[in-house]
Amino acid sequence: MHMFRFLTIIFVVLLIQFSFADEGKDKQYGQTLSLDSVTVISDILASPDNYLGKKVLVQGRILDVCKKRGCWMEIAGDKEFESIRVKVDDGVIVFPLSAKGKVSKVEGILEKFELTLEQTIKRLEHHAEEQGEEFDPATVTEGMTVYQLRGLGALINE
Amino acid sequence: MNWRKWNNILHRDIGYLTVGLTIIFAISGIAVNHIADWNPNYKIEKNAFDIGTVTAVTEEDMVQEVLQKLNIDAEKYKSFRSSPQKLQIFLDNQNIELNIQTGRGNLEVIRERTLLHDFNFLHLNHPKKIWTYVSDIYALALLFLAISGMFVLKGRKGIKGRGAWLVSIGVLIPIFFLWLYKYL
Repeated sequence: MHMFRFLTIIFVVLLIQFSFADEGKDKQYGQTLSLDSVTVISDILASPDNYLGKKVLVQGRILDVCKKRGCWMEIAGDKEFESIRVKVDDGVIVFPLSAKGKVSKVEGILEKFELTLEQTIKRLEHHAEEQGEEFDPATVTEGMTVYQLRGLGALINE
Repeated sequence: MNWRKWNNILHRDIGYLTVGLTIIFAISGIAVNHIADWNPNYKIEKNAFDIGTVTAVTEEDMVQEVLQKLNIDAEKYKSFRSSPQKLQIFLDNQNIELNIQTGRGNLEVIRERTLLHDFNFLHLNHPKKIWTYVSDIYALALLFLAISGMFVLKGRKGIKGRGAWLVSIGVLIPIFFLWLYKYL
């Protein structure tokens, strides 16, 4: 009976601890951030080739997260209508779906992908499937160039 | 006391110790194994709506108009316009995304799956830190249970009889699938 009471108390204490553990804290994903100064996303998007292959630290609100594997996040830029995708290796870093709308600092290396029309359709189709959205391939008429960050580490304000 | 008795005592007690984690990891294992079909961590509920064209001009006013039309009373929210047509509003555990010209959009409610989210958190080693070593110890305990399990019984039902056949089948199963999917 004493043992049962003891275990119940431990369980309740742990439950309370879990409930308040992460509120308002920055939670670390992947590698610890190594850069101090933030590069604004509008600068990167204005002249992406200047940042290709370089490690940058960006900050912004999380607009979307991969709904299946948490393997990418879309980060809002400092200007309207601008955002950048952060892609991580599946399973290495898993961004939580609940991070949507929260502010994140992400460190990564800028990459460029020039996609053919076929690759563009496949990419958009895959994205729509992941997000549970409808997609009409006929709306895509040309290949696209994609700039994205290969994410190394992130801090998300929980 | 002979070695078999120690083997059985350790097999029994380590077995008891690993019951909790085995159940958690097994349930989580099944859940994440089917990640292509569902999200094992979150329930995502999407409710489509059509509130008509948004007439407000500034982003702040647009947000107020949308929240009012959807009868949502929110004190804390954040918003972003990811394209000239698209407005996103972030509330606690719910997100709104709509086309301001058509007024059509989705209200998305995201909830953690009860228990399963916690099970996956441990199974996929999200805590890192000391939990990494706890998991290593658990894996070593499983290794011990697998080996010691073969020697619990002696005689015809032990490793020299029926056990040998069953262990062989168990070893052949992964070898067969490796041959089928990797080497064939």
